[in-house]
Amino acid sequence: MKKQLLIIPFIIFLFILLTFFYLLAIERNPSELPSNLLDKKIPKFETESLLKNERFISAKEFGKEKILVNFFATWCQPCRTEHTYIKRFSKEKGIRIIGINYKDNPKKAVEWLRKLGNPYSDVPVDKNGRIAIDWGVYGIPETFVINSNGIIKYRHIGPVTKKIYKKINLLISDIE
Amino acid sequence: MVPSLGNFSLFLSLLFAISQFIVSRKNKNLKFISISVIGLLISSLISFFLLMYSHVVSDFSVLNVFQNSHTTKPLLYKISGVWGNHEGSMLLWILVLTLFNYFIFKLFNKKNSIFILKTLEVQAFITIGFILFTVLTSNPFERMIPAQANGLGFNPILQDPALAIHPPLLYIGYVGLSAAFSLSVATLSLNNSEKIPWYNYMKPFVVAAWTFLTAGIALGSIWAYYELGWGGWWFWDPVENASFMPWLLGTALLHSLIVVEKRKSLQTWVLLLAILAFLLSVVGTFLVRSGILTSVHTFALDPSRGIYILIFTALIGVYSLTLFGSKSKKYFDNNYFTFFSKEGSILVNNILMIVVCATVFLGTIYPLLVEAFTNSKISVGEPYYNSTVIPIMIPAILIMGVGPMLSWGKENKSKVFKEILPNILLTILMTFFIFLIYKSYSVIGFAGIILAFWIIFNNLLMLIKKNRKYSISMIVAHLGVGLLILGITGSSVWQEEKIIKMKIDEKTKIEKYNIVFDKINEIRGPNYVALQGIFFVYDDKKNIVTKLKPENRFYPIENNFTTEASIHTNIFRDLYIVLGEGNSNDGWVVRIYYNPLVIWIWIGALVIFLGGITSININLKKLKILS
Amino acid sequence: MIKKKFIIIISICLVHFFLNNVQAVEPDEILKNQKQELRARDISKNIRCMVCQNQSIDESNAPLAKDLRILIREKIKEGKNNDEIYEFLTDRYGDFILLNPPFKLNTLVLWFFPFIFFGIGIFIIFFHNKKSKQN
Repeated sequence: MKKQLLIIPFIIFLFILLTFFYLLAIERNPSELPSNLLDKKIPKFETESLLKNERFISAKEFGKEKILVNFFATWCQPCRTEHTYIKRFSKEKGIRIIGINYKDNPKKAVEWLRKLGNPYSDVPVDKNGRIAIDWGVYGIPETFVINSNGIIKYRHIGPVTKKIYKKINLLISDIE
Repeated sequence: MVPSLGNFSLFLSLLFAISQFIVSRKNKNLKFISISVIGLLISSLISFFLLMYSHVVSDFSVLNVFQNSHTTKPLLYKISGVWGNHEGSMLLWILVLTLFNYFIFKLFNKKNSIFILKTLEVQAFITIGFILFTVLTSNPFERMIPAQANGLGFNPILQDPALAIHPPLLYIGYVGLSAAFSLSVATLSLNNSEKIPWYNYMKPFVVAAWTFLTAGIALGSIWAYYELGWGGWWFWDPVENASFMPWLLGTALLHSLIVVEKRKSLQTWVLLLAILAFLLSVVGTFLVRSGILTSVHTFALDPSRGIYILIFTALIGVYSLTLFGSKSKKYFDNNYFTFFSKEGSILVNNILMIVVCATVFLGTIYPLLVEAFTNSKISVGEPYYNSTVIPIMIPAILIMGVGPMLSWGKENKSKVFKEILPNILLTILMTFFIFLIYKSYSVIGFAGIILAFWIIFNNLLMLIKKNRKYSISMIVAHLGVGLLILGITGSSVWQEEKIIKMKIDEKTKIEKYNIVFDKINEIRGPNYVALQGIFFVYDDKKNIVTKLKPENRFYPIENNFTTEASIHTNIFRDLYIVLGEGNSNDGWVVRIYYNPLVIWIWIGALVIFLGGITSININLKKLKILS
Repeated sequence: MIKKKFIIIISICLVHFFLNNVQAVEPDEILKNQKQELRARDISKNIRCMVCQNQSIDESNAPLAKDLRILIREKIKEGKNNDEIYEFLTDRYGDFILLNPPFKLNTLVLWFFPFIFFGIGIFIIFFHNKKSKQN
């Protein structure tokens, strides 16, 4: 056995060590889950609308302007807490928001929006959760930022907080 | 008062550890050393028991007690809850470290004084590292003023006897490996340690560490089996892997030490494995407690903890491995052996254990690497480990059957073949027999049964021969492995499952058993309420086999549900029932499992443990003779 | 009176019974065709539950897990093969959802290294053997 080979364990150890230091340094969040649909076109869908008589057809609505998509439901407590921020997006940024009502009771949803305020220009209904699956949703609430070409630029899992509100605000201004 | 004393005692133990380090380096005064060692042990004992006291009396002014306990928690879990959380578990680590530190000290005599002092110096450094970590980032005596009236409680699935002793057993394992590490570093750093029987000192520590690590891992699996509700007992979860990797290297280390003792070969292997096994234990600690991974097991996440542990690992790792790189050459030996010999088979085993260990390590950190260096995220789960680890283990198990029978140096192939021919025949016969009973034709099942009986018969043969040269602890431990493989194969390959909805008085059938759903009871435990289902099990001759009583518990304090499976065990199979959701109108979801040969997994682990205990005894006796 | 309270508590609680660590396939999900059901179970065991820690959707009680289990069974009934089903899921959730890491450029190292380690190990054994024979 050559003497030089004996230093190999040290070299391997060093490599692993540096990798771990790097991982700690970049401060990754192990529970953060990236969207597989980033920079891709939105998944097409067609479904009934909560508040309008005509059906909601995504091809007609996306690809013209910047849009925020927010998955929500009345039985979801964090959706309630983030609702003020969703309303603020609508008021302050003037951006169009589409709220997808996930696995909910339509009557309750209508009442919920009446009571808490409706920031959505449209509310397509995702009765069995399949639209959410097409969007790669893990659980509600989730919010997506879509640019004027219908490309998904950002996805946030969980309720919109002050920090996320700021982040999305900046993003909306940046994208086309 | 008590918590402040405990905190003070913790600081005191840090001082004693520092004093041990300094004295063993510079002063070398035996009296001061013994004061440091004993002071270290006593102060850590005191702080540990004072934390336990705070838990038992439910002193919620102690943050650790508030976060992890409640007045209604049963006493057993108030006690085991001390180490069931991150901060408290560090105190247990420290306690075991100071205990083994004392054992190292007991080895001291006139001839080995410099060597043992050096070992104590390294061990002191490690102990300082752990105590400092606890004091700086994870102090269990942190207060919460004003104290709340009651605590947050404790995760109900962790309120379990098996899980109560699981950590202490594992820590004995890791700390034993730290002693081996210190002995290895001492050997490498001193110039005339060839005269010291360092391997004789190392062996009892390694055997003890390995034995208790085996027991700790087994208990964790037993708990998972009956607690988690679907008959699984190993999930390749990062924390499980963190204990499995040191075990693999510990196995290699153990066997290599035997070779060193008898033939003086493989010394460099031993020195390296002793360093790596402990380094892996610490890296495992890092992975689990730093927040870099998510897992069902991870303790509270805190990046500062991760940074500290990584720096500590870097210090001891860089020092020990550069020392190894430069100093281990003189431990090479040129003793010739072919690889069809006892040393040869152990060398092959070493390599296979290291390959499996490297594979498990790669699988565990690979998702992190992908995330760090590419823009995507992947998972590495059970299917990966099954397809890589199992094929590599198979040759190792085959070799394990015949290896112990080979002579040192060189073995005659035809002679051995004649010896094991009856085994080969018996194995094949037994395999056909089993297949007749279970009537299933799975390749993995086939392989598993062959391997299991290959080991079992080979060892029974050695037992019957009563040949003095076969160590009884080896035979017992290896036999245990054979039984373990039998259990693993049976339960993985021939498990039957039935998931149905049942109303009261309905019946169903699984294998040859008829199961009748009798009724639902409401029962009350010390800190939970539960719905209990009563199921009567009959065999095909209409005789009653057992009454199974699965429960769905609700723990109001923790606002958490658990299910308690009800299991009937015999040597052939487990009948395992879980009560799901439901109500009296629509019926209840019932999951019934027929798990063949499961008990052999636990029996196998127990037998391995007994083999290990026997070996510890023998090695301690040898050590006494030495001094 | 207290007993009644307990019964009420238990009933309410069990209606919201939500536990992430009990094996979770429900009787009403099970397909009638045994072969198809077995396929569904096999595929499910390879799909990660995204909202749990380290579990497959076969084991988890989470709502998303249940939805995906049902979706997989629907696709099987529609006649899709396993690859198509996996592709459907990875298109939406990324490779992260697969518990058996795919065989791609970024997992080459993962899949090859165990066998490379093994090869190196065998090489060491033969190298040692050769050297010993020379002595």
